[in-house]
Amino acid sequence: MTTDATVVLLDGVRKEYGDTTALDGVSLSIRAGEAVAVMGPSGCGKSTLLNMIAGLDRPTAGTVVVQGEDLGRKNETGLALFRRHRIGMIFQFFNLLDDLPALDNVALAAQLTGSKAGPARQRALELLDELGIADRRNAYPAALSGGERQRVAVARALMNRPALLLADEPTGALDSRAGEQVMDLLLDLNQIGQTLLIVTHDERLATRCASRVVELADGRIARERTLEKA
Amino acid sequence: MSAVWRASRAAVRRRRLQTFVIGLVVLLSTASIVVALALLDASSAPFDRAFAERRGAHVVATYDAAAVTDAQLAGHRPDVTAIAGPFRQATVDTSRDGNVPRLQGRPLTVVGRADPGGPVDTVDIWHGRWVTGPGEVVLNEAPPAAGYQARFRPEDDRVTLADGTTFTVVGRGYSISRTADAWVAPDRIAALRPTTVQMLYRFADAGTTSEVDGHVAALRTGLPPDALVATQSHLVVKETIAAGPGAYVPFLVVFGVLGLIVAVLIVGNVVSGAVVSGYRHIGVLKAMGFTPRQVVAVYLAMVSVPAVVGCVLGTVLGDLGARPLLRSAFLGLGFGAEVGVAPWIDVAALVGAPAVVLLAALVPALRAYRLSAAEAISAGSAPRPGRALRVQRALGGIRLPRAVSLGLGLPFARPARTALTMAAVVLGVVTVTFATGMSETVRRYSDLTDLKDTPIAVRPLRPDGGQPVTQRSVPEVEQLLRSVPGTTRVAGGLDLEVSIVGDREPATVYFVRGDVPAMGFADQIVTGRWLRAPDEVVAPSTVLHDHGLAVGDRATVRFGARERSVTVVGEIMSTAPGWPRMVAGWDTFERLAPNYRILPHEMYYALAVAPGTDTGRYLAAIRTADPGLDVWDNGGSNSYTTAVVALSTVLTLLLGLVAALGVFNTVVLNTRDRRRDLGMLKSIGMTPRQVVVMMVTSMAALGVVGGLLGVPLGMLAHRVVVPITADAANLSLAKALLQVWQPGGLALLAGAGLAITVLGALLPARSAARLTIAEVLHNE
Repeated sequence: MTTDATVVLLDGVRKEYGDTTALDGVSLSIRAGEAVAVMGPSGCGKSTLLNMIAGLDRPTAGTVVVQGEDLGRKNETGLALFRRHRIGMIFQFFNLLDDLPALDNVALAAQLTGSKAGPARQRALELLDELGIADRRNAYPAALSGGERQRVAVARALMNRPALLLADEPTGALDSRAGEQVMDLLLDLNQIGQTLLIVTHDERLATRCASRVVELADGRIARERTLEKA
Repeated sequence: MSAVWRASRAAVRRRRLQTFVIGLVVLLSTASIVVALALLDASSAPFDRAFAERRGAHVVATYDAAAVTDAQLAGHRPDVTAIAGPFRQATVDTSRDGNVPRLQGRPLTVVGRADPGGPVDTVDIWHGRWVTGPGEVVLNEAPPAAGYQARFRPEDDRVTLADGTTFTVVGRGYSISRTADAWVAPDRIAALRPTTVQMLYRFADAGTTSEVDGHVAALRTGLPPDALVATQSHLVVKETIAAGPGAYVPFLVVFGVLGLIVAVLIVGNVVSGAVVSGYRHIGVLKAMGFTPRQVVAVYLAMVSVPAVVGCVLGTVLGDLGARPLLRSAFLGLGFGAEVGVAPWIDVAALVGAPAVVLLAALVPALRAYRLSAAEAISAGSAPRPGRALRVQRALGGIRLPRAVSLGLGLPFARPARTALTMAAVVLGVVTVTFATGMSETVRRYSDLTDLKDTPIAVRPLRPDGGQPVTQRSVPEVEQLLRSVPGTTRVAGGLDLEVSIVGDREPATVYFVRGDVPAMGFADQIVTGRWLRAPDEVVAPSTVLHDHGLAVGDRATVRFGARERSVTVVGEIMSTAPGWPRMVAGWDTFERLAPNYRILPHEMYYALAVAPGTDTGRYLAAIRTADPGLDVWDNGGSNSYTTAVVALSTVLTLLLGLVAALGVFNTVVLNTRDRRRDLGMLKSIGMTPRQVVVMMVTSMAALGVVGGLLGVPLGMLAHRVVVPITADAANLSLAKALLQVWQPGGLALLAGAGLAITVLGALLPARSAARLTIAEVLHNE
């Protein structure tokens, strides 16, 4: 069932890669403001599920609706515009442009929408400031620590005020201290209303940041559990 | 199967596009190399081949008939491999009247010879027959160039000597050793009072001047002193011939050398780029346990597979293409159809092209050999901070769509890769510019020397032999010719022998009237300018040199009792049709010889006709209008010129294509390198169109710069190389041959860089736009 508050609705999503079935009839809904963690062993279909929701890949069968938009009906350009305006993404390996400084990496997301450089950089600076790395705005990714890079990636993901923030193993490439900082960051974001979908196999991250955990096994939802926050 | 072979095969399969590009570049480069080498070989060989085939004389010796006997000469054979003679030889003067202009009042070396064959100096009888009876003569003339037909008028078949003796020309033959101007039957030479005897010699070793000099010295020994009065070396003859019809050869050689250089550079560029882009893979192989030697072997094997296939196919393609092109190109040099692709060229291409590929791959592969696995994996993955990054940042602030500004910044992120791409683009544009200019120079040279703008020739018939004679005056003939439908321009000319005050040698001046400047004559100016006023002359450098004149000098010319002071205002090409002579305007003629009564047949007219004019009908119309006018078509298809231009065009296209493929390859590598960045950009909302714009912009920027650099460099190369080439061939080139560039053409050439990069980038850019983001990002 979908309501106005439903941000993500997956219905019978199936994804096959040749003979391999990555997702097998997954149905899932995420409401606005919710923080959902998707967990499971390697190869269970976590990243594939995230790709479907982000419009990075198309399901073999089933429908994916995000904020009322059926992604199956969109062409490549439509999906790009959808991601630009609705989705923020954080990756395990940050995926920053090496040849742009932190500030421009963040501002880039807004500039692609047609924003002028000045206002885009101003908002990027505000975000970096909120995330505590404004003083590193002119540093290039190669000069940033892992935690700093992920903060820049988070800032970039938030640049266009996305309806949904997707995080794929956001602490996977970080040491424990930097991982803690990113977890705090995601928690803070969710507490101010940001809808979150986190793909992880880190139980600590899931229990700390998510209100609901979806466990996948062999491409199917094996279990769902709701977490009570202290 | 060894691990090395397995890894190589996997690499080839994984990089199908790159493998294809390497194979295609090697194929086209090898084809270019084969054509270029065949060109170089053929350029140096035609004379030698024809000389060997016709058993040319290494030394033509002239003996004093009074000092030696025939028996002495026949028995005197120091180190010779073949000998011909003795042939009686006489030098006679032709009459100033009754001969065609080129035989008027000139000395003629006549040799009595029984047949055109023999052990030395086979005379190629290309028209008519050999002398058999009294009053017959065979003239030594080069055969017409391919595409032209010899055309003889009645007056051409007669030679009148100064003493009034008349000979009938029964044939025309060509002696590559230039042993005589004319031949008569041996029993008829006595009438010409020969004073010398000619002997023709071939030696086993006569390739150098010192060897020839040694043989000449040996010829003197054992004979009375002063018996040997003159000798002629085949090396001198070869040099003379090379400066004549072989004028095109140096241009073709330049094309050959250019083809070789560009092909080698592009192959090196593409192959080394392939290895450099594989550093990460090299690191992975090392991490898996491959030894450095095995890694190098994997990469050499990987590039060798397409290289060998491309090389074999390219050799076949080059071979098939070069044969007809060269054969038709060199036919016009009078050397027959001896030109082809020598076997050593195929062997050189089959061995050389893979060797170049391996060498090009070896250098970066050896660098990979020395790198540790970790270094190889990270090689080039992080840009160095510096000016490039500052440029990127500055571009982020300019008022351009972000996809465009990102694209403009991409070249700065990888300066080395950008330099490689830029080199490929510049090289491509330089090549196309230079080759286009060279091709145009060759075409214009051919047009100028053939006077292609004036295809129709008219000469009033002589008042003998019962032929109709025109009753019209010069202006009337000119008016008649202008009135024939189809005529666009008419030029008239008259040769007059004048004397130059203070100079013992007479000079021929060709006085011209009508539309001469507009009919290609003015384009023959090498230095100075064309005629503008009365009492001005222009002349080829040989004529100026013979009379001790230079552009700007004044000279007094005399005809009869009248003198005029004339100024040399320009030097014209020495290869203009007809023999070298001064050219002056008609007003100068009228001032110098106001009372000269021009006989109609002394005038020569050149006509230009409107495009699409039916030549046959046009000629018939002139003959009908005045049967006293002899008219013929000088134009038509010159297969030699066509072949030279075709050869230039083929090489230009081949080299341009090879250069474009080099760029295409670099763009493919760039896109591959940028996969992760592209995936990320798409993940944050970059549309496929923006991806294409960004990638194409990144290369287009290089294309614009490459075009702007390449065009002037190509023009400079043309401006420097063409005169050097012409000098080497003792040619004076008209200014018009160097000023081959038009603004529109230059813009197109500059646009070639842009076109090469945009076309080269479009395919990989579209492929990048279709990248599966999830796969790219999660595979990192």
